[in-house]
Amino acid sequence: MLEIRHLRSGYGRVTVLWDVSLTFREGTLTTIVGPNGAGKTTLLKTLAGLIPYEGDIRLGGEPLRGKAWDLAERGIILVPEGRMVFRDMSVEENLSLGAYPRRCRAAFASNLERVYSLFPRLKERHGQLAGSLSGGEAQMLAIGRGLMSMPRILLIDEPSLGLAPVIVKEVFDIIRRLKEEAITIVLVEQNTHIAVGVADDVHLMRSGRVLLSEPAANVDLDRLHDLYLAREAQSA
Amino acid sequence: MIELVLQAIFSGILVGSVYALVALGLAIAFGTMRIINLAHGELVLLAAYTAYFVETNTGLNPYAAIPLALVLVGGLSAVLFLMINRIREHRELNSLILTFAVGIIITNAILLAFASDVRTTTSPLLQDAVSIGPLFAMNGEVVAFAVSLLLMGGLWWWLKGSWYGQAVRAVSSNRDAARLMGINPVRTEYVAFIAAGVLASVAGVALYTMSVVQPSIGHAFTVKAFIVTVLAGVGSIPGVFLGAILLGVTEALTVTLASSALQELAGMALFLLVLFFLPTGLFGARARRG
Repeated sequence: MLEIRHLRSGYGRVTVLWDVSLTFREGTLTTIVGPNGAGKTTLLKTLAGLIPYEGDIRLGGEPLRGKAWDLAERGIILVPEGRMVFRDMSVEENLSLGAYPRRCRAAFASNLERVYSLFPRLKERHGQLAGSLSGGEAQMLAIGRGLMSMPRILLIDEPSLGLAPVIVKEVFDIIRRLKEEAITIVLVEQNTHIAVGVADDVHLMRSGRVLLSEPAANVDLDRLHDLYLAREAQSA
Repeated sequence: MIELVLQAIFSGILVGSVYALVALGLAIAFGTMRIINLAHGELVLLAAYTAYFVETNTGLNPYAAIPLALVLVGGLSAVLFLMINRIREHRELNSLILTFAVGIIITNAILLAFASDVRTTTSPLLQDAVSIGPLFAMNGEVVAFAVSLLLMGGLWWWLKGSWYGQAVRAVSSNRDAARLMGINPVRTEYVAFIAAGVLASVAGVALYTMSVVQPSIGHAFTVKAFIVTVLAGVGSIPGVFLGAILLGVTEALTVTLASSALQELAGMALFLLVLFFLPTGLFGARARRG
């Protein structure tokens, strides 16, 4: 279980997250929605150790602090916005780098097999440069690479960004399968409809705060959209 | 005439292989840190003088100096990294000044210790001629070629097959993504600098056995490495190897057909031509940023 209490973080003197408290339950998929600038990506970056923070983050009761590479060793794995694949390396080399954390190296071969069975397209293209993949394939590679790191928590940032609707559906089918395997997932997504569809819990963020936290089953999409779009009215 | 040209091409290929080692050292440090180590040529020079020192003092084959060169040059390379790593602001520019200064210090320390005379190996074994068909070489040149190929093969294996090597490539490719893989980028840069020092050590010893060295030529090695990197485009080891051989052959042909005074000029002319007509390098046709 990942718990966040009174989290405050941002970039230099610019505070983006103000007093965020959230709980992510083990083996569930949590979706965070919200408009641009709500702080969703900042939240994931903070969790992954890319940004320093004030407040308290605990994984299974243990405080979570450190640089991104230490947190990757501890199983906090971010699939970043914009995929960030190693463009001049092959698909398989990208996956192999996912297994860089020491605890993942022994199980490298079996994990690779598993990722290839989840993403047959990656297996077909295993020798190809990652920079030559389509957007959807690159997203699959980014998720596959994240799985190679044997995540205790998998943070996925905007997987649908820039993808055609039919590819988005494909990516979310995969995310649904990962959820069935009881991987703890935190998903940040602009595409509210599809993101709430796969979630167990839903949080709505706006202007660096959490406005609404509900089990996905109770979410009323119309109300969510009202809150989502109320930014103008609030700030006026 | 044709024999002379063939001989020049042959000699150029042999010396080009060592240029490749020098260039790969520069490239591997640049790849991870985006910093040009202007003292790289002087690191090579230090290794060459280590070989000279060991040979004149012990009478051993200069290649016996490699362990000592590894310690000295690898250590100095590590120190250089630690200094660069302390730079907080304008790292690209300030590191140029820093490494340039370190280069001057190394050159003058060598000048102080060994005087400005031209040195080369006195080992009869390495200086003996060997003929391959109609072509001639010194044993030293052939050995240096073999050693360079071997080390390049090792580097290839290291970058492809070892975790540290993969980390070096990952940081070179996408530093932010590398962090997310559990890679500590600063430690990886450190490793890359030491690897560059290892390449410089062997290259320096090899150059001493096949050619002549004097304290003032350190920067010329840096320039050659730079030219090779531009010829090859950034990236592949085979590309660097071919670029280095092209430079070696160009220089050797210039010496044979014109004058040895024009040797450095020919390299520069090649450099400008490639920059002008093939700005991404001879083998780096793909522009891959973004």
